[in-house]
Amino acid sequence: MSDIKILYVDDEQNNLNSFKAAFRRSYIVFTAISAKEALNVLEQNDIHVIIADQRMPEISGVELFKMIQGQNHLATRMLLTGYTDINTLAEAVNEGHIFRYITKPWNELELDTAIKNGFEFYKAKIELNKKVEELQKTNDDLNRFVYSISHELKAPLASILGVVNLVKLENKNKSETTEEYWNIIENSCLRLDRNLTNMLQYYKNRKLANEKEEINFEELISDLISLHNRATSAQGELTFIKNIQQPVVFYGDKFRIEIILSNLISNAIKYQNPEEVEKKVIINAEINPQEAKFEIKDNGLGISVDAQEKLFTPFFRGDYQKGSGLGLYIAKEALEKMNGTIKMESVAGKGTNFIITIPNSNQTIINTMAK
Amino acid sequence: MTSNPKNSGFVLMLIDDSQFDLKINTRIVEYSEIFNKIIPCSSAKKALIYLSENLDKPEKLPQLILLDIQMPEMDGFEFMEHYAQFPTLFRANCRVAMLSSSEDSSDLEKINANPNILMLLKKPLQPTILQQIMADNIS
Repeated sequence: MSDIKILYVDDEQNNLNSFKAAFRRSYIVFTAISAKEALNVLEQNDIHVIIADQRMPEISGVELFKMIQGQNHLATRMLLTGYTDINTLAEAVNEGHIFRYITKPWNELELDTAIKNGFEFYKAKIELNKKVEELQKTNDDLNRFVYSISHELKAPLASILGVVNLVKLENKNKSETTEEYWNIIENSCLRLDRNLTNMLQYYKNRKLANEKEEINFEELISDLISLHNRATSAQGELTFIKNIQQPVVFYGDKFRIEIILSNLISNAIKYQNPEEVEKKVIINAEINPQEAKFEIKDNGLGISVDAQEKLFTPFFRGDYQKGSGLGLYIAKEALEKMNGTIKMESVAGKGTNFIITIPNSNQTIINTMAK
Repeated sequence: MTSNPKNSGFVLMLIDDSQFDLKINTRIVEYSEIFNKIIPCSSAKKALIYLSENLDKPEKLPQLILLDIQMPEMDGFEFMEHYAQFPTLFRANCRVAMLSSSEDSSDLEKINANPNILMLLKKPLQPTILQQIMADNIS
């Protein structure tokens, strides 16, 4: 006898008896005279295969299967029907997660094969659940690992930068070469810090689902400008001109939009032309019910025609080798996840203009409500 | 700022599990010349003990606490749960800014939602930021 546990549900005692007689030597057989009793049996036993008659008073076989569907029962379900009512069957298969149906009166050999197949199906489901659980755990571990690694790398960097600050404060009369060395250390640390931020953004962008929340662009862009302006050595020499028109509410993925704007603003600051007297970054935004359109323009170094082609490939660093080579790639990936677009116009020595559009998810909300 | 900051009487508390950062930040704060006294604490627990023991001695209490987020045992946010239990008057006179080497957006959300926290400062500490905080929030 195998240890496959079967529950047979039928409102006729005779059927229960003959099922037991036919299968009790091969399997561990449980029987129930009603759906209610079946629920009791299911609660107390780890059943592998359930066979239920469709036509029962009070609760039918399909209804019973529907009832247990949300309750984590992995048991394979098979329906017995005495008549071929195609509508009932279609409904059963579609809604009740039924493995197969068997017509009444049943044939012992056919039913036995069905039970064996049903049990194989049950085992496969168990195996799959286990794998899913394992994957989920691996995934969670990986997330934790990435976040803690990025912190573990950034913390000592911040300490080094702190010491650099102190050296600068303490050695007011140091020589010019020493000052240059300290500046190199500082800039390298800042670059490493930025690279780490970019790697983490890249990782998150690949994994996170799209979130929708209300975004106030006046606020967001002002925050980003002050954040990046604080980090630049060109502070004070650079003029920001922003013109944000947001007459309507915008819904979108704030995390991704922040990544995109942040990378573009950071680039506009990073690639300023040192020779330029009036360094400028112009940010225009126009938000309508369909989309948000941004223009981020600078009069900086610009991008050569050769570099323009490869601009959005990962780890490509343009003519000046300043960044991680990930910023624009991440921005483009993030835009693709939101069905947005990005365009670039640039003339070497004159400046660069990025134009991006991001659909307003608020529009979809209004549309669905109208329906 | 007052014309003679060295006599401001301001006290600052630094909470950080890294001895290294504690030392660096103490020096940076000294250079800013805003505070007369700095209380370095190598754990959130030690800071809580100091604050509870001196609740009735205002001259020993800080006007500003710079609190590291990631610490073993008790992290910055757990410290803030204890801080919230302190008397209102104490909290009004002793503000908290958080320090972190990374700008995690989930940290930022928690900080924005907590009325007891002034802001998040990115490490390393900048002396100019300290001056700004004191001028904006602490008279």
